[in-house]
Amino acid sequence: MKKYLVLLLVSIFAIGLLVGGCGPAEDVVDEVDDVTDELEDVVDGGQDLVIAIGAEPENLDPLKMMSAPAATVAEHMVETLIYLAVDGSLEPALAESWEPTEDGLAWDLMLREGVSFHDGSPFNAEAVKLNLDRFMGKGDFEGEAAVYAFLLSEVDEVEVVDEYLVRLHLNQEFAPIAAHLSHSFIGMHSPASLEALDAGQYVEAPVGTGAFKYAAWDRGEQIVMEKNEDYWGGAPELDTVTFKFVPEASSRVIMLETGEAHAIMAVPPTDIERLNDLEDIDVVFENSVRVIYMGFNMEDEKFEDVRVRQALNYAIDKEAIIATTFQGVGEPSSAPIVPAVFGYTKVGPYEYNPEMAMELLAEAGYADGFDIELFHPTGRYSQDATVTEAIQAMLAEVGINATLTTYDWGTYLDTVIVPPEQAEHDVYMLGWGTVTLDADYGLYALFHSSQWPPANNVSYYANADVDALLEEARVTPDRAVREALYSEAIELIWNDAPWIFLHNEGQVNAVRSNVKGLIHHPLENILAWDASIE
Amino acid sequence: MKVDNKVDEICELPTPKRDTELRQVWRHLRRNRLAMIGLGVLLVFLLCAIFAPLLTGYDPIKIDLGNAFKLPSTENLLGTDWQGRDVFTRILYGSRISLAIGLISVTIGMLIGVPIGALSGYYGGRFDLFIQRIIDILIAFPGILLAIVVVTVLGVGVENVMIAVGIASVPIYTRLVRGSVLAVKEQGYIAAAKALGIGDFRIIMRHIMPNCLGPIIVQSTFQIATAILWAAGLGFLGLGAQPPDPEWGAMLSKGREYIRTAHHLTTYPGLAILFMVLGFNLIGDGLRDALDPRSRKHK
Repeated sequence: MKKYLVLLLVSIFAIGLLVGGCGPAEDVVDEVDDVTDELEDVVDGGQDLVIAIGAEPENLDPLKMMSAPAATVAEHMVETLIYLAVDGSLEPALAESWEPTEDGLAWDLMLREGVSFHDGSPFNAEAVKLNLDRFMGKGDFEGEAAVYAFLLSEVDEVEVVDEYLVRLHLNQEFAPIAAHLSHSFIGMHSPASLEALDAGQYVEAPVGTGAFKYAAWDRGEQIVMEKNEDYWGGAPELDTVTFKFVPEASSRVIMLETGEAHAIMAVPPTDIERLNDLEDIDVVFENSVRVIYMGFNMEDEKFEDVRVRQALNYAIDKEAIIATTFQGVGEPSSAPIVPAVFGYTKVGPYEYNPEMAMELLAEAGYADGFDIELFHPTGRYSQDATVTEAIQAMLAEVGINATLTTYDWGTYLDTVIVPPEQAEHDVYMLGWGTVTLDADYGLYALFHSSQWPPANNVSYYANADVDALLEEARVTPDRAVREALYSEAIELIWNDAPWIFLHNEGQVNAVRSNVKGLIHHPLENILAWDASIE
Repeated sequence: MKVDNKVDEICELPTPKRDTELRQVWRHLRRNRLAMIGLGVLLVFLLCAIFAPLLTGYDPIKIDLGNAFKLPSTENLLGTDWQGRDVFTRILYGSRISLAIGLISVTIGMLIGVPIGALSGYYGGRFDLFIQRIIDILIAFPGILLAIVVVTVLGVGVENVMIAVGIASVPIYTRLVRGSVLAVKEQGYIAAAKALGIGDFRIIMRHIMPNCLGPIIVQSTFQIATAILWAAGLGFLGLGAQPPDPEWGAMLSKGREYIRTAHHLTTYPGLAILFMVLGFNLIGDGLRDALDPRSRKHK
């Protein structure tokens, strides 16, 4: 059929030349070029990449973004000041360099020149200030701050020094500031696009500086982005990138095999071996910075007693879940953060010991067990529903009868990340990727008592000692001292057991072999700006 | 008092005849080979459901991750699932859920639908018009859709599925019974009963309903099959039985994830649904022929 399309286009071109007569020579050359491009597209099937992922971004507004799917999609359109590379190093993105002032109470960001947003407006210091102010809910944007505003909680003021120099004034020294600025949620949007929003309205079609421009978002289906010809880093080879949202892992695999998708995330463990044997498909293993856990609602009287929380940790056979449900990919959690993160200390895992679990429950006065409401997502994390089912059965062994409830990802987040008085759940499943590779992000956000919902301390955990350690660690410049402080905090958190610590995820993606240059990021992103289809 | 007694005697006259009719139906049914196969299939399922614990040494709920994804063998007749549970055991216990949903939801549908249909047909007039317009609205929805709406309102779970499927089958019974009542109430003996001064309630219960029993029984047999299918559909969509209950539709749905590597997780629950539904349909077909005096005479 393509043959006929080419013939048709060629004849239309020929007729066009005839009818148009003799125009200026350059025009004709341009026209020929255009048509040749089109013909090439038709012949090679175009550079239209399709990636199937499990969950849809809950939002693409920096104020409302909360998950890796949102980050993955957004990073193609909207860039950050600093980029955290696959190897964990911080690389220049929209900021070319960054350094602290002598007293450490301010940071200077030298911005990249000659960058413009998709709407044509220039990227400069004013744009940075506006974006950061909006994220923090300061200055002209007094009021609503981003859910992840804690990333910049130590930033007092953003000063525009000159067109390409921004100075961040800090309340006190803040060690992880550069890492925090690399967070995908602190993306730079066109000021005009943000100012056009009414109060209570959020970004739906991001206008950034990225390699791809927003094209369309069919809710529940897909997001389509098209090539940014004027990208400062050089236009990408791909014409379009489409993220399709397919919660069911087996459907993603079938899409990959039939060629409907070029790449998929979270390959079901039972399919790894089979896909590996296929010639035109490559299975990609990559580490992840994500821990998966079952958090307790600590405002629930059942979970007030630390013995109950520890008991439930002893009741779960993490090794068996890894071995069977994940076919050996991943490992039981040995701390609330993964080993790759700065500040990690090995304190676990809790061994599998149902007898000990029952003893502890009996000591706490729950010899006969109790009923719980357990909420979990389906399709967001690898094997989430299957893991939950296994946990339900293991809890039953120690007398705890769990009723499961699941929602689609967006609804799920809205249901569990709520203040205590609105919580319907006793236990909830979530994961957390420490995407700055610094313990501050993994611990402060999840265990500091100032971070209860709408932020991410969903267990309502509050321990004054932990608070003090985390506060001190984030303002101490000395890495060795910080490490010691985090080690102490991790020990306390581990023994307090606000979660059932489950496992560190391993990432398994799969790609068709004719796709080159995809970046599989430990932050659980697939990035396509350097990709091409052969 | 004497008059009342006499009326009772008159009313009970048909009783011995009904007995022989039952025997006739059975005789006719027995000659229908397909119906007998259906009956056999159902009996097997019924026995499985009742004696499940005696037929298997495994627990349908307890997991054994070390034994996951075993292919069918002498140890696990139909293999094991993703949590290492014996599939045969889960199908046995699953027949309890499916049969219960089928029977209870049809009972619910019948308890609501039959009286409404009978009253609507018997009294006619505005009341009939009103009821039938409501039924029209309900019938406009496909049954499974109506059931989904009801489950969405009530929440997920086996009990709610029973109620939902029951409600979804109400309009079918109402229509069926109304039609039968309309036909019967014009008969001479109803006019005679009315002339004798017998109350409406008694006329409906004693003289009309027995004549509608045939269609109700036949419809119920088919309706149980439909209910089981709907329930499996709801389970498949995640709206029915919740984990870890071994409901067939849910097993099928979850097993689909592993269809490329462990097809036994979808094949056998699927076959179980197929055979149970087929069983009810075959026996329903047989009953329809057997309960229809005309078709009995033809053969």
